Amino acid sequence: MQSFEYANPASLKEAFAALGSSWEDAAVLAGGTDLLTIMKDYVQSPKRVVNIKGIKELGGISRKGGNMRIGATTTLDELTSNAAIRASYPGLVQAAMGVTSPQLRNMGTVAGDLCQRPRCWYFRRGFGLLAKGPNGEALVPTGENKFHAIFSNGPAYFVSASTLGPALVALGASVTIASASGNRSVSVEKFFVAPTGDGQREIDLKPNEIVTEILIPVPATKNATYEVRQRELVDWPLSAASVALRMNGTTVTSASIALGHVAPTIWRATQAEKMLVGKTITAATAEAAGEAAVANATPLSGNKYKVQLTKVAVKRALLAAAGIKA
Amino acid sequence: MDPLAVFMKNANLTLREATYLDQFKKAAELIDWKNKYHAPGEGKGSIRRGVGIGVATWGGGGHASKCKVTLHPDGTVEVELGSQDLGTGNRTCISMVAAESLGLPMSAIKVKIGSNGYPASGPSGGSTTIGGVSTSTRKASLNALEKLFEKVAPALGTTADQLEAVDSRIQIKGNPNKAMSWKQAAQKMGPSPIEEMGENVPAQAAREGLNTLGAAGVQMAEVEVDTETGIVKMRKMVAVQDCGLVVNPKTAESQVFGACIMSICSALYEERVIDQVTGRVLNPDMEFYKLAGLPDIGEIVVHMDIQEMHDKRGVIGLGEPCAIGGTAAIANAVFNALGVRVPMVPVTADRVLNALGNKRYA
Repeated sequence: MQSFEYANPASLKEAFAALGSSWEDAAVLAGGTDLLTIMKDYVQSPKRVVNIKGIKELGGISRKGGNMRIGATTTLDELTSNAAIRASYPGLVQAAMGVTSPQLRNMGTVAGDLCQRPRCWYFRRGFGLLAKGPNGEALVPTGENKFHAIFSNGPAYFVSASTLGPALVALGASVTIASASGNRSVSVEKFFVAPTGDGQREIDLKPNEIVTEILIPVPATKNATYEVRQRELVDWPLSAASVALRMNGTTVTSASIALGHVAPTIWRATQAEKMLVGKTITAATAEAAGEAAVANATPLSGNKYKVQLTKVAVKRALLAAAGIKA
Repeated sequence: MDPLAVFMKNANLTLREATYLDQFKKAAELIDWKNKYHAPGEGKGSIRRGVGIGVATWGGGGHASKCKVTLHPDGTVEVELGSQDLGTGNRTCISMVAAESLGLPMSAIKVKIGSNGYPASGPSGGSTTIGGVSTSTRKASLNALEKLFEKVAPALGTTADQLEAVDSRIQIKGNPNKAMSWKQAAQKMGPSPIEEMGENVPAQAAREGLNTLGAAGVQMAEVEVDTETGIVKMRKMVAVQDCGLVVNPKTAESQVFGACIMSICSALYEERVIDQVTGRVLNPDMEFYKLAGLPDIGEIVVHMDIQEMHDKRGVIGLGEPCAIGGTAAIANAVFNALGVRVPMVPVTADRVLNALGNKRYA
């Protein structure tokens, strides 16, 4: 790891002053579960690390208007043990519990989960987000791509690493982003961006900005998350689906279905969402929604199996949300 | 045909038919083969269970090893070997062999390993450590004891060959009344300690009979396969394992547990991935070079096949054998669950789904 300056601001104002205008200047540290590993691998070597855990206003879970507010530095453990979150957003809790290491849940933060860098093994070995070879050729489409995107036409083929992203997108959450010049709000869905050129990042965040909170609308939905993982021990999902259903009795009035680990962004399964409106969730409709969710998949040479996994994840998440035993 | 019957019918193709037949029976009992085995692919629902068998043999034997045993006039004992303890319990086993040979409790033995300054005792590899160190330690201990007997014999009015070391005493064989304590005996040696060497020379091992080659083991696995996702989960693994004379059943068992876990890792998780264009290893980390964790290993039952006929063969190394058969047992269990072979390890979701093709299970 390159040596770096360490800043320990007590307020957002101090934190903004410590951040720079480029990603090389400074990196934000919260749980550190991703930042430290990527610095050890020399993939990112910021000159300064800015610890934001000392900024009190960035923590806590509370009701804020029509939303549930989750402070940026709330740990996954705090999230999963919060009674209000457990009652309204089981899909979010299931997603967080998918991080099967208590150590990571104790250290990792909610905003950190959204801001963590992709786990693409080409990116992590220093080939860049767009994973280019010595002659500028794209390595992923014909390379080792079994964990890569099934929804992407390039040039980015990595998958978003966010565990909470699918649940937050399905729940219609937004992030508040602050900088010295003020606050802005962006939906979690739009927060994830597929880079189209070198030097671009995978999230809508500038080097001088900090995610301060996540807001989840309160209106009740039936929601659930289902992840397919090779192992039970802490492991990245091969595919994940989060669903949030508004119901009138047993009839779906609207559905949100968000897929994780299948695209550079959190992927909305809009066809599947539409076809569920007016339907009752049964094994058959859930299966059909799974089919619809992957109808437009464009798998790579080695990841066709993820299409099947995604179909199953959607089906099982829908059945879980509707309380039907698979 | 039931694969257990196939294996048993062909046990005569091994060098140790009787041992394998015993082990098949014991393993089958421990995993409840009779009730768990079904025709390949037979079953209901999208989650399928299956059982499989793996068999292993391994050389083991003992590597070249030298050991120095020092008996001090104050009664303390030092055992020195240029060996190492990788976590296998090597230090414990050396201590046990010296203690038993000298008629002392383990607490009286100071084992010194882990330095090139000690007599050369080889690396730990090839499951040859226990055979090497237990032989050299045994010989050095007996050589030192012989020298001590010579010093003590006149005081007990006898000759060295009439003495034995039992329960921290030196006594005339079978006669605790004609004895002196280890401490009293040590004082008879004068100011200089007794220093004696012992050596395991692999070429002589067969003649001496302290260590030998050829461990036998049978592993059986029970898995659960989610046929919609291709994810394989371990339910149970049984290992029946012989390794000749077992120096320490606890550490031997522990080795077999470890080997079972390794076989689960290689059957279901471990894989090195190299980019064909750049030649880079893409997963040089514990994140994507996956190993099984506690929730992934299921129940593991180890049965050490301890019998007089095995004891007589001498010590055999144990590290590796059951890591081999276990992998095959798991792959065979997947076949039993699905009725379809997944021809490569690790048996990951992509390979299972590819093997299933359009086959559907309900």
